[in-house]
Amino acid sequence: MDSEPEQSGPVGRGDGAEGAADASPDGGRPPAVRIQGLWKKFGEQTAVSGIDLTLPAGRFIGLVGPNGAGKTTTLSMVTGLLRPDAGQVEIGGHDVWRDPVAVKSRIGVLPEGLRLFERLSGRELLGYTGRLRGLPGDEVDKRAGQLLEVLDLSGAQHKLVVDYSTGMRKKIGLAAALLHNPEILFLDEPFEGVDPVSAQTIRGVLERYTASGATVIFSSHVMELVESLCDWVAVIAAGKIRADGPLERVRGEAPSLHEAFLGLVGASGRGAGQNLDWLGGGAR
Amino acid sequence: MTDEALAAPSPTAPSTRAPSLTGVFVRLKLSLLRNGLRQSPGRAVAYVASLVVGLLAAAGVVLGLTALRGNAHAGALAVLLTGLLTLGWAVMPLFFPSGDETLDPTRLVMLPLRPRPLIVSLLVASLVGVGPVFTLALVTGTVIMLAQGAAAAAVGVVALVLVVLVCVTLARAVATASVRLLTSRRGRDLAVLSGLFIALGSQGVNIAAQKLGRPDGLTVLEPLGAVLRWVPPASAMAAVDDAGRGSYGSAAVGLALTALALALLLWWWQRTLTALMTSPDSSTLQAVEKDSARRSGGGERGLARLLPDGRTGTVMLRTLRYAWRDPKSKMGWATALGVGLLVPVVSSLQGRGSIYTAFSASALLGMQMYNQFGQDTSAFWMVASTIATPRDAYEELRARAMTLALVAVPYVTLVVIGTAALIGPWSDFLEVYGLSLALLGALLATGALSSALFPYSIPSEGNKNIAPGQGAIAWFSLFGGLLVGAVLSAPMLGLTIWLHVAGLHGLLWVLLPVGAAYGTGVAELGLRVAAPRVAARLPEILVAVSKG
Repeated sequence: MDSEPEQSGPVGRGDGAEGAADASPDGGRPPAVRIQGLWKKFGEQTAVSGIDLTLPAGRFIGLVGPNGAGKTTTLSMVTGLLRPDAGQVEIGGHDVWRDPVAVKSRIGVLPEGLRLFERLSGRELLGYTGRLRGLPGDEVDKRAGQLLEVLDLSGAQHKLVVDYSTGMRKKIGLAAALLHNPEILFLDEPFEGVDPVSAQTIRGVLERYTASGATVIFSSHVMELVESLCDWVAVIAAGKIRADGPLERVRGEAPSLHEAFLGLVGASGRGAGQNLDWLGGGAR
Repeated sequence: MTDEALAAPSPTAPSTRAPSLTGVFVRLKLSLLRNGLRQSPGRAVAYVASLVVGLLAAAGVVLGLTALRGNAHAGALAVLLTGLLTLGWAVMPLFFPSGDETLDPTRLVMLPLRPRPLIVSLLVASLVGVGPVFTLALVTGTVIMLAQGAAAAAVGVVALVLVVLVCVTLARAVATASVRLLTSRRGRDLAVLSGLFIALGSQGVNIAAQKLGRPDGLTVLEPLGAVLRWVPPASAMAAVDDAGRGSYGSAAVGLALTALALALLLWWWQRTLTALMTSPDSSTLQAVEKDSARRSGGGERGLARLLPDGRTGTVMLRTLRYAWRDPKSKMGWATALGVGLLVPVVSSLQGRGSIYTAFSASALLGMQMYNQFGQDTSAFWMVASTIATPRDAYEELRARAMTLALVAVPYVTLVVIGTAALIGPWSDFLEVYGLSLALLGALLATGALSSALFPYSIPSEGNKNIAPGQGAIAWFSLFGGLLVGAVLSAPMLGLTIWLHVAGLHGLLWVLLPVGAAYGTGVAELGLRVAAPRVAARLPEILVAVSKG
């Protein structure tokens, strides 16, 4: 394991420079995301406390952490949907807040907990999103048709999104995020509440997308999924980055990412609890 | 109490005889009521207040009806009142589906209950509450008004019981039959619109009451009464009247009709309840539902083709679709269009109208521009993630303003023409029309600005239009905006007054072109001032509109 659980202060993690060195030399491409000193407080509660993180371009990147770790807050700030209290975010070398034109056309976003325009049908939603992005109408319709086909939504394309199931919503959200062919895709919990069939479909599309050199950054708390999909991982807990780097390095000596993760967030060895000794079949 | 009530018939004590189901349900209802009131003092106060108001109203109605005793039209009035009461009971569950959770049959699905005892218990439990007490009082008053003689009084007691039972059974049966609809998305959409129906209905009642209040107004009821007297449960009321006049045959028929209706309702209720509790839930069925017929082919169809390209046309199309499909938007539009028309119509009906009442159309439609992004709910992120420059924000706002103008300009024109025709005088037409357009433009301008500076959430379900905690900002946005809108229209008003005072009546027509140009100009200015603020405040707006 290359990371230390203890933090020296709000800014500056021990291996920040090392991570950046690993991240940048990708044919001279600027890193997909560079975060420096990112802070966000909601009232008394600090959601994100001084994140420094550099994520390389062209990778399948997993942002993992327990519930309430600050994953959604971080992704919202990185994608320009939430204003940080302090800190800098660069995407592909462009500052998110100072150069929104360059950033917004380069990224696709699937947020968690925010709605879509649900009173449009799936096809209408894609038509709307694509045209807002400034794509020509017939190109939007062509891409929308193909995305609906690949994501197995053709049968429901004229149904209102409000009547979609969770899996279908995630898929139509993914289609909307991919429509303008972004360089970097941010997905917040794309597999949460999704059935295995839809999950496999989403996975296939994402793997095809990254194979062409694009970057996917997604958050999850399902370690097995992250381990099987990602080649780069950042572990976040209590608003801080606990470890980041290539999957093998974060996993280290641990038998699985799951074990490594529990160690990093300080939750290993916490048993199921001896107080529940009455629980089980047989005697009442 | 709830625990005791539910634990009593549990399998742990199979030897003791289970208590009667009816008692369990009545106690369950009482304890749910008590626990609900204990939850918050505000709720208790509201409940007690509604109880007092209900009882006072019932007492008033009973006194009023007793006073009408012997009136020539008493029979028709009684029949009509009973009809209205029944109608009220029939539609109530559609508007307040969650009104009584003890009676929600879907909560009882897992319990081993037989239909017949269940129906009896549910019926008795439904009789507990403010509604049935109020109904009982009202029907008692009606019987007192009608009953002449001992025979009529005897028939009256039977009629009283029958009418109350029919009302309550009808409400339960309708609720059970429509539970599938009410728990579906369409049902919830309908519930959002219920406020509108109530508002329009109360206008209708208001106008009807004014007509009935006139001398001889009750004669209007006679033809309606002649038909209704054979329709249960009003036929039971007619029977009281008949018995008083000695026509015992038709009295018996009247009572029998209502009793038959009660039996049929109970049968229907039992049937739907059994069907509901033994067939799969709608959420299971929905998954295999066929794709709906909302087909638009490859591209856009029909009139949508006429919209401009780019962001403007896209946003306009989305806004128009939402005006029809989203219950909250639909409600907003319907209210603006309806009330904007009602103000001149009602004031002209009351005979003290002025052509200036036509401004209501402009004012109400213009106010639809306020809180534009709140209407998007948290889906605003889709807009926010495509706005990178003030120019994008300007196009977004302009498209929304254009959609509004697309409806508002023809509508305002029609209302002003209509008001001029109905109330007059035509000589003021051009002046009022010009001022209306100027006001519309001013409200579009302030609406755009307040959308940028004072956004707030609109909860998508229920009748509330403001999320908790954002009341002040909503008030500030609407009334501050209205004030600024009035100030922005001031130059036009000044010009109008000056033309009148200076005696230049021949030049008043100028107000139409000047008003139209002024409205367009001020709206454009407002959009240009608001756009950079929207572009700079995207995250703040998103946070504000994502609550609730």
